[in-house]
Amino acid sequence: MRHFLAAALLAASPALGGVTEALDAHILPGYAGFAEASAALAEAAGADCTAPALAAPYHAAFDAWMRVGDIRMGPSEHGALAIVFWPDARGFTQKTLQRLIAAQDPVIDDPAAFADVSIAGRGLFALDMLLFDTAFSGYAPQSYACRLAQRLTADLAAQAAALDAEWADSFAAVLRSAGAPDNATYLSEQEAVRALYTQILSSLEFTRDSRLGNPLGTFERPRPARAEARRSGRSLRNAVAATDAAVEFAEALADWELPATRAALDLVHEAADKIGDPAFADIDDLGERFKVEVLQQKIQGVETAIEEEIGLVLGLQPGFNSQDGD
Amino acid sequence: MTTRRAFLASLAAATATPRLGWAAVGNPSYIAAAKRPDGSYVLAGFDTKGAGLFRLPLPARGHAGAAHPQRAEAIAFARRPGYYAVVIDAVSGKALHELTPPDGRQFNGHGFYIDGGATLLTVEQLAQGSDGLIGVWDVASGYTRIGEFATHGIGPHDVRLMPDGQTLVVANGGIQTDASDRTKLNIPDMRPSLVYLSLAGDLLEEVRLDDELHQNSIRHLALREDGLVGFAMQWEGEPGMAWPLLGLHRRGAAPVLAEAPLPDELAMKGYAGSIAFSADGSEVAITSPRGGRLNRFSSEGVFLGGQRRDDVCGLAAHPEGLVASDGFGGLIVVGPDGARPLALFDDLAWDNHIVAL
Repeated sequence: MRHFLAAALLAASPALGGVTEALDAHILPGYAGFAEASAALAEAAGADCTAPALAAPYHAAFDAWMRVGDIRMGPSEHGALAIVFWPDARGFTQKTLQRLIAAQDPVIDDPAAFADVSIAGRGLFALDMLLFDTAFSGYAPQSYACRLAQRLTADLAAQAAALDAEWADSFAAVLRSAGAPDNATYLSEQEAVRALYTQILSSLEFTRDSRLGNPLGTFERPRPARAEARRSGRSLRNAVAATDAAVEFAEALADWELPATRAALDLVHEAADKIGDPAFADIDDLGERFKVEVLQQKIQGVETAIEEEIGLVLGLQPGFNSQDGD
Repeated sequence: MTTRRAFLASLAAATATPRLGWAAVGNPSYIAAAKRPDGSYVLAGFDTKGAGLFRLPLPARGHAGAAHPQRAEAIAFARRPGYYAVVIDAVSGKALHELTPPDGRQFNGHGFYIDGGATLLTVEQLAQGSDGLIGVWDVASGYTRIGEFATHGIGPHDVRLMPDGQTLVVANGGIQTDASDRTKLNIPDMRPSLVYLSLAGDLLEEVRLDDELHQNSIRHLALREDGLVGFAMQWEGEPGMAWPLLGLHRRGAAPVLAEAPLPDELAMKGYAGSIAFSADGSEVAITSPRGGRLNRFSSEGVFLGGQRRDDVCGLAAHPEGLVASDGFGGLIVVGPDGARPLALFDDLAWDNHIVAL
C-alpha cells in the first residue's frame, strides 16, 4: 500500500525522487568510508610494505570503494579512472609498473610528481598487480617495489580524500541546486534524479557486460585473463559488491520500497554462491561458464526490477542520442 | 502525428506561390530535428538566445537537415539507410517536395545546398556494397536529379563545400552496411578516408590514417573559413583503446590527430557524434552522447577542457563559443570560461545534429 501511495504521489509531481537521500544515505558516506579505508591501507604500508602484509587492508579498501566505485559523475568522472583503471585493453598498467621499476624512477619519492604518472600506473589495479601478480609480488622490504607500494597506497589515500572532499564540499551542491539559473550541469531537478538513476543502471550494465562479459568472451573463446582484479581473486566479489551497491543506491534514491528489486538481488546472491572460482579462471569449463551466464541474467533481473520500480514511476527514459548514434 | 500519407497530400497541395525568406520565421540561427513526447518528430528552428521559433512536422525520425540559403525552406534527411528527404516550407510547415534516391541508392543522412541554393548535394551510398556517391539535384525545377559522382570510398556520411566554393570534402566512414539495415559488414578490414573532390567529381586528394587507426570511422566534418577541416571519428574496434577521435587537416599536409589526456579520451567512450568550430574559429569541439561529454581543443589540436552533459550530441558555433543540444531537450552554451544553460525544451528530445544557418 505504501508503495502504491508513494508511486501515485510521485506520478503527480515527478522528479521529486530523493537526490538528498541518495547523497546522504549512499554517496557521501560511501566516499567517506573509502577515504578511511584507503588511509588505513597507506598506514599499513608505512609500517610494512611487503605484499603479504598489505593483502587484508587492500581488500578492505577495495570493498569500501565498491560501494561507490561505479559512480561516474561530477568529480568521479575523472577521479575514478586513476583509482580503477580497468578494463585495460592496451595493457597500460603493466607497462607503467614495469617501466617505473626497471628505471627505479625517483618519481615515487615525490607525491606531487607521482600524481602526474599515467593513471594506468596508479590506483587499485596497479596495486592489484604489484601485490598479487607473482611477476611483481615477491619484492623485498627494502626494495624499490616496496617503496612503490608505499607511494601507490599513499597516492590512493590522497585521491580518496580529495574525492571525498570534492563530493562533500562541491558537487553535492551542484546536484542539490539542479534547475538553478547558473547550473549548466542539471537544467532541472528531474535531470539530477535522472543522472543518479542512470548511474545505477550503468553500474549494473557494466557488471554484466564487462565484469562478467569480459572473462566470458565468446563461447568459442573465453577470456579468463580479462577478469577484473583476477590476481587478487576479487572478480566475483566485485561483481556482487557492485550489485549490492546499486541496490542500496536505488533504495536511497526511491523513498518507497522496492520489493521486486530486493527479490531480484536475492537471486543474484544465490547464483553467485554457486560459482566455484572467485576469479573465473575455470570459465572455459562449460558448467562454470553456464553459472556465470546465469549470474549475468540475474543481474539483468535487478536492472529490470529497478526500471519498473523507479524508472517507470518517475517517467525516466534513457537518453535519445546515446542509445542509437550515427 | 503526421503520417506519411498526410505528407504526400500536403505535397500535392503545395502551390507555386513565391517563397518567403528566413525573416518570415524570425531569422532562426539553427535548425535541428527532435522527437516529441508522443513519439512524433519535428524539425525545429531556434535562435542564439535559445528561443524556439518554429516546429515543422517530420514524417519520421530525421538525422540532419540543411537550410536553403535564401528561402525559408529546410530539407530534412532520413536516418540511414534513408529512402526519403523532405523539403519543408518553414512558414507554412507544408512539405514542398519529397526526394527519393534513385534505385539502388540510399541517403546517408547529410546534404547541403551549393550555388546560392540552386543545387542540392546529397550524401548517398549504393545499397549493395556501400560505395559512396554524391547526388546532385536541381532545385529550381523542383528538385530533379541531374547527376551523381563517386566519393571514392565506402559508406560516406558527411560532406562540406570548401571555402573556395570549388572543392568538396567528404568523410568516407569506411563501413559497409547491409543493403537493408544498419548491420556493419566489414569492421575487421574497414578503411575510412577523408577525400577532396572537385564539383565534377574528380578525386583531388585522399587522406588515410595509420593502419592501427583503420577502425576509426571518419564520420563528421566541420570547416573553418581558412580551409582548415576538422573531422570527428567513431572507434569501431575493441573498446577502451582511447585513440584520438578528432583530426584536423589542411589540403596537402598530414592530418593532425588531436589527443586528449587519457581520462578525457576515455570519457568519450570511443565515439564522437558531432563536431563544430567555435564562432571565432579558435576552438574545435566534439561531443559524445555515449560518454555524456563534450571535449574542446584549440584549432592546433591542443586539448582545452571537457564539459559533462548527459546525452549531449548536437553542436554548432554560437556567438559565445559553441551551442550543444541533448536528448533531454537541453541547450547549453560552452565558451572559454565554461558552460551555461541556454534553454530547456522539456517537450523535445534533440536529435543528433544542429545545423547552423
